[in-house]
Amino acid sequence: MSSNTAPVTAGRRSYRKARLALAATATAAGLLLSGCTTVNAPAGGTNAGSSGGGTDYLPDEAVRKIVNGREVKVGFAPPILSEFYTQVEKAAHNRMKEYEDRFGVKWTWERQGALNDAHSGTETLGIVQGYIARQFDAVFVCSAANASTMQTLYKQGSDQGIDFYQFNSTEELANPSQAEDPTGGLATVSNIGYDDRWQSGYLAGKYIAEQLKGQGSIIQIMGPSGSDWTKLRQQGFKKAIAEYPGMTIVGEADGGYVRDKGLTAAQDLLTKFPDVKAIYGENEDMALGASQAIDARGLKHWDGQSGIITIGADGLVSGMDSIKAGKLTATVDVNSAEMGTEMIDALFAHEFLNQEVNQFIRIPTGVVDKSNVDWHQGVLQNVLNGPGKY
Amino acid sequence: MSTTAATAPKKNSLVDRVGARLLVDPTLGVLALLILICLVSAFTLPVFLEPSNLYNLLNTSLVVMILAMGMTVVLISGGIDLSIGTTMALCAGVAATSMKFGLPLFAALIAALATGALVGIGNGLLITRLGLPDFIATLAMLGFASGILYIWTKGVPIIGYMVPEFYVIGGLTPLLASLTLPMIIALLVALVLGGVLGSTRLGTYFFAVGSSKTGAMQSGIRVDRIRTQAYIVSGLSAAVAGIIMAGRNTNVPADLGNGYEIQAIAAAVIGGAALSGGRGRILGAILGAITLAATVNLINLVGVPSSYQKIVIGAILILAVLANRISAIVSGIVRQRRALVLEGIPA
Amino acid sequence: MNFQRTASRILSVNGVPIAIALVIVVIIFQIMSPVFLTPGSVRDYINNAIPILLLTVGVAIVIVAGGIDLSVGTVAGLSAGTTMWTLVNGAPTLVAVLTGVGTGLVFGLFNGLMITRFGINDFIVTLATLNIAGGLLIVLTEQVPLQGVTTPGFSDIVYGNVFGIPSAFWIAAIIFVLMQFFLVKTVFGRRIFAIGIAPSAANVAGVNVERVRLGTFVLSGVLAGAAGVLLASRLGSVQAFLGSGYEFIAIAGAVLGGVSLAGGRGSVWAAVAGGLMLATLQQGLRLNGVDPVYFSIVTGLCIVAGVVFDRRIQQLALSGIRKRRRTGSAPPPPDTSQEAHLLRTGKQD
Repeated sequence: MSSNTAPVTAGRRSYRKARLALAATATAAGLLLSGCTTVNAPAGGTNAGSSGGGTDYLPDEAVRKIVNGREVKVGFAPPILSEFYTQVEKAAHNRMKEYEDRFGVKWTWERQGALNDAHSGTETLGIVQGYIARQFDAVFVCSAANASTMQTLYKQGSDQGIDFYQFNSTEELANPSQAEDPTGGLATVSNIGYDDRWQSGYLAGKYIAEQLKGQGSIIQIMGPSGSDWTKLRQQGFKKAIAEYPGMTIVGEADGGYVRDKGLTAAQDLLTKFPDVKAIYGENEDMALGASQAIDARGLKHWDGQSGIITIGADGLVSGMDSIKAGKLTATVDVNSAEMGTEMIDALFAHEFLNQEVNQFIRIPTGVVDKSNVDWHQGVLQNVLNGPGKY
Repeated sequence: MSTTAATAPKKNSLVDRVGARLLVDPTLGVLALLILICLVSAFTLPVFLEPSNLYNLLNTSLVVMILAMGMTVVLISGGIDLSIGTTMALCAGVAATSMKFGLPLFAALIAALATGALVGIGNGLLITRLGLPDFIATLAMLGFASGILYIWTKGVPIIGYMVPEFYVIGGLTPLLASLTLPMIIALLVALVLGGVLGSTRLGTYFFAVGSSKTGAMQSGIRVDRIRTQAYIVSGLSAAVAGIIMAGRNTNVPADLGNGYEIQAIAAAVIGGAALSGGRGRILGAILGAITLAATVNLINLVGVPSSYQKIVIGAILILAVLANRISAIVSGIVRQRRALVLEGIPA
Repeated sequence: MNFQRTASRILSVNGVPIAIALVIVVIIFQIMSPVFLTPGSVRDYINNAIPILLLTVGVAIVIVAGGIDLSVGTVAGLSAGTTMWTLVNGAPTLVAVLTGVGTGLVFGLFNGLMITRFGINDFIVTLATLNIAGGLLIVLTEQVPLQGVTTPGFSDIVYGNVFGIPSAFWIAAIIFVLMQFFLVKTVFGRRIFAIGIAPSAANVAGVNVERVRLGTFVLSGVLAGAAGVLLASRLGSVQAFLGSGYEFIAIAGAVLGGVSLAGGRGSVWAAVAGGLMLATLQQGLRLNGVDPVYFSIVTGLCIVAGVVFDRRIQQLALSGIRKRRRTGSAPPPPDTSQEAHLLRTGKQD
């Protein structure tokens, strides 16, 4: 690990440690969970027992005994097939491989992604019903369907002993509270994700404002209106911009979360507002479309001093490449790697160790630009080259 | 149509003749609508008529335009091609993957074109040999093509094929000054297809088959072969559009072509093609594609809240076809009057 | 001999071949995955399928009259939205149901009037209303969150039980029986077939073609509205984009069942059997853990095979009937006008 990335890495790891400590899971298993992170090389070979306390106490063996070679059937239902969900799945697979090697967990993994209704979610309903009928042990769901509809389905499945975990979802929209109810009124074991408002939209707005020192106009390319993800990211982004009186959002257009529509929308808006300082693309594909529009108009990309800032959100390999090439200024990495890992950690803790996991597991997210792209890209590449395959 | 102009009295001035020609043109309505849009925006939204905007608009419309031209040929011959969008994506995928395998550029392009032609032949066989209705055969083909692309890419977009030439193909890097390659390609496709439809026997056959299958059969036309050829044309146009799209999009996701079939059909029909067959024009398809692109462009420029976009697009569709309808009625009246004039009865 | 004749007559009835294929597919899936026919699974998948089956029947009626309706999917979505919207505003269930069905009616009427009064092509008109209805649903969901309704009785529309059978089944069955009765036993229904086979001949025979066409689009709209009510009741919430894409499933289902896109041929049962076939395929593949990326290919293959199979069987059956006629054995009287048409032309499309 090169010296300049080490502090950042450490920061990321210490966050995890702090969070785990807060969650009071400093049991034997908790120790070994915190011992390996996605950021470091997989801890496959290290023995958490010996590094943990210097005693001859061997939690690995104890966990192995608990697991006892049991098999779990896991369903994975993403709302669409894409680079992002592939990264999440691969990270999960790598973690599963670790658990298999160390504790003898036997996994059956089945992915059924919706193809045609990323935004309405009714296809996901059918998929989840199928998992319930086939008595899977645990199901990971990310769906665009309304939260209340999904909760009814989860309740129905939970009554039959199936555990539901949501990931990358928009449960913050329903604003459930754990103040009096440990489940927050949700029928899931846990929700693994990030807050779209403050961990994605807000970050992007803040980054633009800070780079531009609070002065300038912005255009934004949004996802399809009607999508919950769009709604939330908008909320965060607009809040961040509102904190800077010198900044204004002059134009916005629908880019449908796809690149060629993003390109067209950015071209149109750049014609009308030729002297904008920044373009916010709500996902990376649209931001890359906007970047092409800048090239096509012969405008200058942001170089740290002048030019147009383009920022997206996702944290995909293709986005990282573009940041390195100077075509994309920045992106919000919503941390697919950590998401996949945390999903399996939560499942393992609940399913095998019988621990209580928090209803809301929030993974760290952050802005990637030229200064830290090597680290983020390295993490991603490690994930994609990882050994997990189910 | 041309007969009307030819039989018009000789004393008519050139202006009259051009006027007559325009009036009976099925694409007049959409042309009028486009001019109306331009006029209105000249006063309310000057940025719309700025050269750079019109240039963007034209560039944006090219992919749908090429698809719409292929679709027009199919519609003329009495069919419909719902697979054209996914075929475009499939061909884009073939071109991109061939490049990744290290094939030379021209080989990648030929592979893509061959894929398009094959899909066209497949459509033709499903329809003529198995006797499936066009709508269902091409809907099934849509399923096959998109399924293949999903299985092949596993949902992860194909990347890493963008050589500098592909930026030119996609129109991201202009060829000469501000002229882009897709513009030239679209023009070539228009000239070739317009030529085929207007002045070759094959073109006549397309119209004949679309107007009446039994009639065409009785006059010795090999209907099945002509219908298959129409689908090969649309498959090839999908391939051309796919190659451009691969360059323009700089990656090929599995859902690249979603919805393009509907846009292509809409553009063709706005341009005067009839879904019942036997009618359609290449110029109409071009105007139709520009109308669609102008709609989205105006929505973006005016700043229509994106939630209202679909409603506006639906309204424009109805308006465009209504405009054509009105022009057809007007031209009918004009023709009737001319006939009366010819018979010596004062109108 | 007698058996053969009966067999070919039964097979020549629209929808019978696909119904037989459906039974075979169900048996195969049950063998492959024992959970397939458990009550919970059947209930879920029929509940999921019913709204689309209603759309399939509506589209089938339009297709029989020689038209096409692409707007049914998003109109159903919007109807679900307006239903939910009235409930959110505290209206009783009956008002909500009427609102939903009324929304469908308005769109059906609009489609029909644009097509018949202005002579615009049905494909384009319904494509336009597809966009308009979809857009209106987006606007509606942005104004009001369409969820959290606790109106008594509303979720019972789908989840209630009557005589131990889920109420959605009853509703769908009643609608299908009514529609089939309407199509076969009423003058208007027979006219739908007549204008589908030959509009000009029907016109000469004194049928008001435009009015019948208008009627088919209104029917399709009303059925889409009913589908929307059932969707809202089943989901308990309504989301933007609900229903988009259903139109193609509905059309494919109708055609798979043997409804001819050329018009003049089809029945409610055929459309329902075709739609159920598509739903069954999806459910069966899902319960066998097949990755959905294969669905579109399998569905496409099935549609091709189904339509070809249906055509061949019917041709065989009809040629059987014809042969016996030539040889002089008692000719079975043609029971419907479609069959007579088929015998005359010898082909179906």
